[in-house]
Amino acid sequence: MKHTKNHLMFILSLISILLGVEFFMVFDRTTDSYEDGLKKGYSILVVSEVPRSTEQFHTLNSHITQSEAIDREAIVTQYINDISKEAKTKLIGNLPYFYSLHLDSYIDASVIQKIKTDLLKDIEIRKVETFGEHYLAKYRLFMLVKFMLRIFILFLSVVSFFLIIKQMEIWKYAHKDRMQIMELFGATMTHRSGVLFRIALIDAVLSMIIVSTVFAYTKYVWAMQSNIDIVTQHYEKLFRVSDIAVLLLSAFVLVITSVYWVVYSTKGVQE
Amino acid sequence: MPNMITASHLTLAYQNEKGYNEVIKNASFAIRKGEFIFITGPSGSGKSTLLKSLYGEMKPIHGTLHINGADMTNISSGRLQKLRTELGIIFQNYRLINEWTIAKNIVLPLIIAGYNQEIQNAQANRLLRHIKLSELADRYPLELSGGEQQRVGLARAISKNPVIILADEPTGNLDKNSSNVIWDLLESACLQFGSTIIVVTHKIPELFSLPYRHFIIEGKGIYETH
Ligand SMILES: Nc1ncnc2c1ncn2[C@@H]1O[C@H](COP(=O)(O)OP(=O)(O)OP(=O)(O)O)[C@@H](O)[C@H]1O
Ligand SMILES: [Mg+2]
Repeated sequence: MKHTKNHLMFILSLISILLGVEFFMVFDRTTDSYEDGLKKGYSILVVSEVPRSTEQFHTLNSHITQSEAIDREAIVTQYINDISKEAKTKLIGNLPYFYSLHLDSYIDASVIQKIKTDLLKDIEIRKVETFGEHYLAKYRLFMLVKFMLRIFILFLSVVSFFLIIKQMEIWKYAHKDRMQIMELFGATMTHRSGVLFRIALIDAVLSMIIVSTVFAYTKYVWAMQSNIDIVTQHYEKLFRVSDIAVLLLSAFVLVITSVYWVVYSTKGVQE
Repeated sequence: MPNMITASHLTLAYQNEKGYNEVIKNASFAIRKGEFIFITGPSGSGKSTLLKSLYGEMKPIHGTLHINGADMTNISSGRLQKLRTELGIIFQNYRLINEWTIAKNIVLPLIIAGYNQEIQNAQANRLLRHIKLSELADRYPLELSGGEQQRVGLARAISKNPVIILADEPTGNLDKNSSNVIWDLLESACLQFGSTIIVVTHKIPELFSLPYRHFIIEGKGIYETH
């Protein structure tokens, strides 16, 4: 009974660390694509007197990788309805050229400011709109959420690790006499700690299986049935087979470290 | 016969905050293979401490100590581990493994040496008969009396026919009859397997049939009586 309780404590602590690891991976994958989306969705609006090509924008600032001319006729049609064909043509002829510029991945407020000044060096460019405030607020909020989640996962892992160490203290106490007596009769370290390693490795595999099952269930059953857009869109990112390897490796590293800790701290006999 | 144990100017001490507390000082002796040695001395004189140095639990702070060819002042952990498989130790406080049955405790040295289950069982049964505890084979140490645990400790020490037997008060808790069982077993280990035997005791048995030597520990010195 006491034994089972000890096991459960150890497995639960391991599970919470592994859950943290898996969450971290899933979160990283999903937010990466969200971050990508934020970057792709971002654009700078440029008003120019004469037509400009992507190459020309790119020479002004190398972060600009794509430019899209905004259809002037569409703008006019969108805002002014009752207008004759001639008047419309005339109006369009008088309009400047509008471009929407896309950047390579790097985004930072100062970089965007620099891009703006670079663009304005071109005398034909009349106006540059970076939508700085709106964009930054969104990005900062996103980064804050990401940061807080990471701190939370880290905190969870640290607490669980202390629980594991605590559990190891109990094991150490329970196995100390046996290991010391075996040492006095010439048992090797591997032999003395064999039982502990066996228990710990079994627990590691069990925890890995439990965590994998939870995430696999989430992916293949829950996510499939849910009609939540963001879930179905990122369905593929929820759990990957390669995660099992990462989880198993983390679990093994954890238990092997803790068992060695127990074994080394019981070495030598104090009476 | 070659020397099994050689001590020269041996000094043993416990370290504390103030420095060293010497227990044995400048002792020299030699014990040949197959000898039977009794060690006596007042309580606290350092008998258990001397045994500790013989099984490598304590290193000499001065002098030299050689056991079965191993230099104990400078022994690697691998060599010490191997040396210990050749020893049979009986502790003053028994030191049985409480989570193991009596039968399993007895064959600990065989388990460590990797003998198969059949040999383990046969040896356990044989020794349990000798120490008259066959009925208790499946019990655990804490379910035994002190004297019974002591006999189990002896059976464990001799179960793999060790080269050297180190016994700390092996009859300390036993009546005359049980004590005689212990002495018989130790005598036969010495006669049959040529084990070198060192026994710490407060009373040398009156009817002891083997030739033996007697060391006394007193005032930090080790002296042989004649
Ligand atoms: N672990 C230890 N740390 C410090 N001092 C110790 C330790 N063990 C024993 N001593 C001291 O060393 C001295 C010798 O102790 P030891 O146990 O060798 O005596 P002993 O001859 O076996 O006594 P007894 O007949 O009572 O078993 C004693 O003064 C004791 O207090
Ligand atoms: Mg003693």
